Amino acid sequence: MPRMKRDAKTVYNWLERRLQIEGPVKDAALHKVPRSTASWWYVFGSAAFTLLLLQVVTGILLALVYSPTAANAWNSLNVLNHQIPLGWFIRALHGWGSNFMVAIVFIHMCQVFLFGAYKFPRELTWIVGVFLLLMTLGMAFTGQVLRFDQDAYWGLGIGVFMMSRVPLIGGALVHFLLGGPNISGATLSRFFTLHVFVIPGLLLSFAMVHVWMVLKLGINEWPMPGRLVRRETYIAIYNRLSHEDGIPFVPGAFWKDLIFSGAIVAAVAVCAMVFGPYGPGGMPNPSIIQTTPKPDFPFLWIFAILAYLPPALETPVILVAPILAIAGLLALPFVAGEGEKSWHRRPIAVLTVSFIAVAWGVFTHLGTYTPWSPHMNAWSSDAIPARYTHSATPLVREGAVVFQAKQCRNCHEIEGVGGQRGPALDDVATRMTPDEMRYKVVTGGGNMPAFGKNLSPAEVEALVAFLETLHPANERPAYDGALRETSTHNGSPPPVTGSK
Amino acid sequence: MRLRSTVAGGLLSLALLAAGCGRLPVEQTERYVPPDQVTDFHALYNTNCRACHGPAGENGPAMDLANPEYQALVDDATLRRIISNGMPGTQMPAWAQSAGGMLTDAQVNAIIEGMRKEWSKPNPFQEATPPAYEQPSGADAKTQTADVKQGQQLYQAHCASCHSGHARQELTSPIYLALISDQALRSIIIAGRPDIGQPDWRHDNGQLSPQDVTSIVAYLSSLRTNTAISAPPVPLSSRR
Ligand code: HEC
Ligand code: HEC
Ligand code: HEC
Repeated sequence: MPRMKRDAKTVYNWLERRLQIEGPVKDAALHKVPRSTASWWYVFGSAAFTLLLLQVVTGILLALVYSPTAANAWNSLNVLNHQIPLGWFIRALHGWGSNFMVAIVFIHMCQVFLFGAYKFPRELTWIVGVFLLLMTLGMAFTGQVLRFDQDAYWGLGIGVFMMSRVPLIGGALVHFLLGGPNISGATLSRFFTLHVFVIPGLLLSFAMVHVWMVLKLGINEWPMPGRLVRRETYIAIYNRLSHEDGIPFVPGAFWKDLIFSGAIVAAVAVCAMVFGPYGPGGMPNPSIIQTTPKPDFPFLWIFAILAYLPPALETPVILVAPILAIAGLLALPFVAGEGEKSWHRRPIAVLTVSFIAVAWGVFTHLGTYTPWSPHMNAWSSDAIPARYTHSATPLVREGAVVFQAKQCRNCHEIEGVGGQRGPALDDVATRMTPDEMRYKVVTGGGNMPAFGKNLSPAEVEALVAFLETLHPANERPAYDGALRETSTHNGSPPPVTGSK
Repeated sequence: MRLRSTVAGGLLSLALLAAGCGRLPVEQTERYVPPDQVTDFHALYNTNCRACHGPAGENGPAMDLANPEYQALVDDATLRRIISNGMPGTQMPAWAQSAGGMLTDAQVNAIIEGMRKEWSKPNPFQEATPPAYEQPSGADAKTQTADVKQGQQLYQAHCASCHSGHARQELTSPIYLALISDQALRSIIIAGRPDIGQPDWRHDNGQLSPQDVTSIVAYLSSLRTNTAISAPPVPLSSRR
């Protein structure tokens, strides 16, 4: 035993002689940090780094099996899911690791922002961090494309759609991104290269630089209301904090990082186990139209915002908002590089973060249930409640059939079932007279398609007869007597109230 | 120190749990079934037919397919033809891929098989023999000439008792008739629609002969073709 120990020591010394790494590592580990930084608030950066490592490891394992060709990508994921022992688990870890990483990176950024940690002398750390955020999102996005299923198509569709709006070079950009005019095998090779070589390479080097600066510049001290940052005095104050009342980084502050990172990895594992891997969903076959694809979680909010934007605002918002947002983030340490760090005295910072968090939450929630996108199957699968067909007249029943056959249901709910693109029609008869309905159906307007050419006069009449019966049992339909008199024409049925 | 070892223990057990997952059922990850490979009757019916033919085949706006009399009346080949090619000129779509729909032949067969299994009952007509599902053609047709005049009288005698009054007269309205095919009328008259209270061909007012059914349909059909429907004017004053 002692002999083995001696041998190990010899090898170590031989290596150390040449690498000379012990000193820097010791310095880094034992350097003093202000006591106040040993806080549970300061664990997100290291957790993000841990997740990055997890992604690298699981990613390498996946790359052993994954085949980045249009013909095989989807199949190779199914092989991973079903044939390779624990393959599904690795996929799930990678997928959930990605979600967690995006979330932790965002939380880390909010914390750094609220603690004023981007101020002098850590401006560059912040700027590199902004790029790390963008690259993390880039990884999440390109990763979702590699799944090459229908959701991947959707995610990519949105990206391409945003890019195509760039003036002048939009088309060329799309062509460059996709490796052709549309999504194909070439697209997949490109995204594979980005996801596996280009972005991870950059991401890892930027992360190293980021960590290096954290080590060199010291961990941000706990902000105290009233202790202002000034270029002239900050370094001296910080040195005093870390030397007079400091603790060595390892283990003083490090153990919290370790525990938190461990907990996060465990949480990823639990999610992976419980929820399983992402897809692959439907095969990317454009001829299968019975799907409602959705982008992955980190991009749901974009999906929602795009759906809610009025058409006229789309291009400006899509092109200008991201640039403004990124420019704002990059400019932040230069605009507010000095002064108050504590959130107690920075109400605007707190409000901004809360506002963004709430807005993001709302849009993501909307994204998860997509009220705007038609339900493709509603026309043939969502039943008309029996109370409407049961005591109805033959014409009303035909109207209900037309309502389904013309896919009105894909956008309109009845008794809570159906699409939500348009208003629910449960009580439409109390809101509209038959003529107004007729007019709306024929001419459309406000995201309601004009059905004029696609409906025969008999179909319109049947539809209106059916719509007229849509009112709560105890409420009378809107009854426009004057119009009703004149609209009884050439043999059309007498008024149908549907409430016989 | 206590805290650290507790947390470490917790993490260790989680890691073990994770390692054990290799033995979790692989159904964990539901295998995606392309829509054209679904052959479960309920799945097919519920996504493709329920909206118009009702949950469980009845109480929908269109034909009561769960009516055992209807199931006994119509044979497999006819069902296959109707489901595959739809009923042209009506809202019943064509479902077969060969006709531009989304179902494979295997799926159409699965639907027919499922309907038979769920909705057929032995001997729903008892002693009686119903008129044929389709209006006979060729030699048989001579014995069953359609007579519009007679159809009108039969309608008054057999149908008007229930189908009179304001709304129920719609049966003779050209608007209604423009939307429903002769075959559908015939199916409804013969097999009835128990779900909404329409009797079959043997209703209280006496049993209809095959000839009677043909004449009534011919009468209703004549109302359809004889009256043109013009689009109602869309009032520009309408607010929306
Ligand atoms: C693509 C989705 C879509 C389809 C398909 C669609 N609608 Fe609409 N519909 C809408 C939207 C959106 C509105 C709200 C329009 C507005 O802002 O005025 C609307 C409004 C209406 C209204 C007015 C409701 C009210 O309370 O103001 C009626 C009635 C209506 N639709 C009937 C129909 C009928 C009948 C059909 C089938 C022939 C149909 N819709 C098909 C999207 C759709
Ligand atoms: C959009 C509404 C709609 C959907 C969806 C629909 N049908 Fe129909 N179906 C109708 C209508 C309306 C008729 C009667 C048409 C007519 O007037 O002839 C009909 C008629 C039929 C008939 C013939 C009834 C008779 O009179 O003999 C059969 C059988 C049938 N449908 C089966 C199906 C099956 C099976 C599906 C699902 C695969 C389906 N339908 C989906 C509307 C629909
Ligand atoms: C005992 C009363 C009764 C008699 C007799 C009767 N019906 Fe009906 N019929 C009904 C009822 C009830 C309904 C469903 C309510 C409605 O549509 O008004 C109905 C509905 C219908 C429908 C619409 C079915 C649908 O799917 O929307 C047709 C078509 C029809 N009847 C035809 C006839 C014909 C033709 C006759 C004569 C041979 C006739 N009925 C005789 C009671 C009757």
